[in-house]
Amino acid sequence: MTMLRKLTPYLFVAPLMIFIALFTYIPILASLNLSFREWNFLTPDMPFVGFRNYEQLLASRDVWNSLWVTTLFTVLSVPLRLGLALMIAAYLVRETMHVRLLRGALFLPSVTSTVSIAVVFSWVFSTDYGMVNAILGTFGLGKVQWLQNPHLALWVLVFVNTWKQIGYDIIIYIAGLQAIPRELYDAAAVDGGKRLHVFRRITMPLVMPTTYFLLVISVIEAFQVFTIVNIMTRGGPAGATDMLVNLLYEIGFVLFDIGRGSALAVLLFILLVGLAILKSRIIGRKVHYEA
Amino acid sequence: MSQKLQITLAASVIALVASVGTAEAATDVKFWHSFNKSNGEALDKVIAGFEAANPGIDIEAEYVGNYNDIIAKLQAAIPARRAPDAVILEVTRYGLFANNNLLTDLTPYFDADPLKDDLYDYAREVGVIDGKNYVVPFNSSTPVLYFNKDIFARAGLSADTPLKTFKDITAAAKTISEKLGSEGISGIAAPGQFARWGIVMANDSEMVDPKSGEILLDKPNTIEAYQWMASLVKDDKVASPDGVTDEDNGRDAFLAKKVGIMMNSTGNYVGAKKALGDELAVRAMPCNKACSVPIGGAGIGIMATSTKDVQDAAYKFISYAASPEANATWFAGTGYLPINKKSAALPVAKEALATQPGIDVAIESLPVAHGRARTTVVTWMRTTEYKMWEAMALGQANVDETMKDFAAQTRSEEKRASN
Repeated sequence: MTMLRKLTPYLFVAPLMIFIALFTYIPILASLNLSFREWNFLTPDMPFVGFRNYEQLLASRDVWNSLWVTTLFTVLSVPLRLGLALMIAAYLVRETMHVRLLRGALFLPSVTSTVSIAVVFSWVFSTDYGMVNAILGTFGLGKVQWLQNPHLALWVLVFVNTWKQIGYDIIIYIAGLQAIPRELYDAAAVDGGKRLHVFRRITMPLVMPTTYFLLVISVIEAFQVFTIVNIMTRGGPAGATDMLVNLLYEIGFVLFDIGRGSALAVLLFILLVGLAILKSRIIGRKVHYEA
Repeated sequence: MSQKLQITLAASVIALVASVGTAEAATDVKFWHSFNKSNGEALDKVIAGFEAANPGIDIEAEYVGNYNDIIAKLQAAIPARRAPDAVILEVTRYGLFANNNLLTDLTPYFDADPLKDDLYDYAREVGVIDGKNYVVPFNSSTPVLYFNKDIFARAGLSADTPLKTFKDITAAAKTISEKLGSEGISGIAAPGQFARWGIVMANDSEMVDPKSGEILLDKPNTIEAYQWMASLVKDDKVASPDGVTDEDNGRDAFLAKKVGIMMNSTGNYVGAKKALGDELAVRAMPCNKACSVPIGGAGIGIMATSTKDVQDAAYKFISYAASPEANATWFAGTGYLPINKKSAALPVAKEALATQPGIDVAIESLPVAHGRARTTVVTWMRTTEYKMWEAMALGQANVDETMKDFAAQTRSEEKRASN
């Protein structure tokens, strides 16, 4: 009886643990194992090659280019996403009918298929047949190579990714803003605090836990962005949007170098864990969970 | 239980057992292919014809995407033991599977098949690696030059405008862009990879030597061909950059009557004819320094993992698909090259030749058509070529340096893969 009582909590969590182990931990370990081997899905044997896959990756220009492009994408998209989301959330925090409708409208892209969004925006930004250039044309402006210019293509992806993700950030920020005690704003009003001052001194610090959460999530998402890249630019033009996961897909599932693909996945995992620790050390300490 | 009821029950059981027996006797062949739209309809006709003639075999055909998609899905399906029995494989990329013993050696089947003598030499050759036959050709093609007669006329060009050399094509494309650019019409579609290969051959060169396997990407004539192709987009601006980043865009724009000239596979003939009607004209690929075109398309291979009876059934289908009747239906329905010498004499092919002007251009190119290299590195080279082409065509990289770098990378990859 005592034994059964001791086992009960483990039995309750067992189904979930088995599920996570099957679909997360075992694949991670398998990927780690594959990163030290050479395999193309076709050969029956997978010879052990030590660190050769890692050495080849670290010597590859494509990998360093992808790391640079992904970092640039993250640096451009994350502050833009969070800044815009906070501003919009501050406006949408009120509970009126039109605000609720706006929240719903802004959240829609988050639950829309990324593939559909990417296909539609490919056409919107097409040089010769796209809507954006058609609009520019009505003002007498020339055609812009949105997806063929290496500098612009990355910005287009930042825009599309922000448009897709911002609804989620707004909803989380609204929840964070609604949790700030009303009395603090009342006290600031009594003290004659101006709007910008109140926003900087009360809203910003108290919404910091939400910002920190969104920062962690959005940096991970930015480093893992794939679908819009693969559909809209396939990493081009000339590698200008070749993000890490797109390169990983190309190495693993186009060139079928499973060993090198797995090694890149492991490197990406280490990078993201490192970034999470860094964020926790630098920003985590400044986060206050009490008003 | 009454005697009548007992008899009825017994008869039902016998009928059920008999039907199960019949179902068990049927052999299912899972077949992956890359044909949709009008080409998919033509394939359905071929399959229906085969199943009518072979009631014991059921072809479970599945469209799984383009050639690249098939390669990717097949590679993932093999370790998962979900590979099909028969599969369409592009002629330069089946070597990867043949070299890993994943394709059935069809030589014994092929040698015993009277079909062998009916096939054109070029068709017999595309399925062979090191003397063994791994695929039987199905949809063979060469690139051809399509143009829109109406756009030519509106630009003041006659339908007889010379389009033989790179210079001729640039001149025609420039005229179209200058005269009709304000209407959103551009001179030429940026060439897709198959056409790029053809243009390199038209400049008396190759990407990879089909006999020795030597990499020829940095040969002066190859570089010169790429310089011309890139100039269409970046210097002369007669080809839309949209077709560089996604080559289907160039074809779609031609079909939408927004482009004057397109170099593409003859397999696009029927689709183009449907879209453009009498406005469509077809010419052979240019002969800038040589008249030479690549043979493209795909053949059908049988997976080594399938059971012997399924392999036998799959070969019957492959053999039927290359037969005069099926091949004539396929040729008339798609524009792909006839692979069987007897196809052209059949009424359906004769009618197509008589009523669809231009469908015979690819056939006339056959004397100068050549098979391409199919060494393992070709798959890598073709994948990487897209990035290189983008960089050159969009003016982000110097053509000469890029091609030399590309050649060096390809040699290095070949060395790495062989170790």
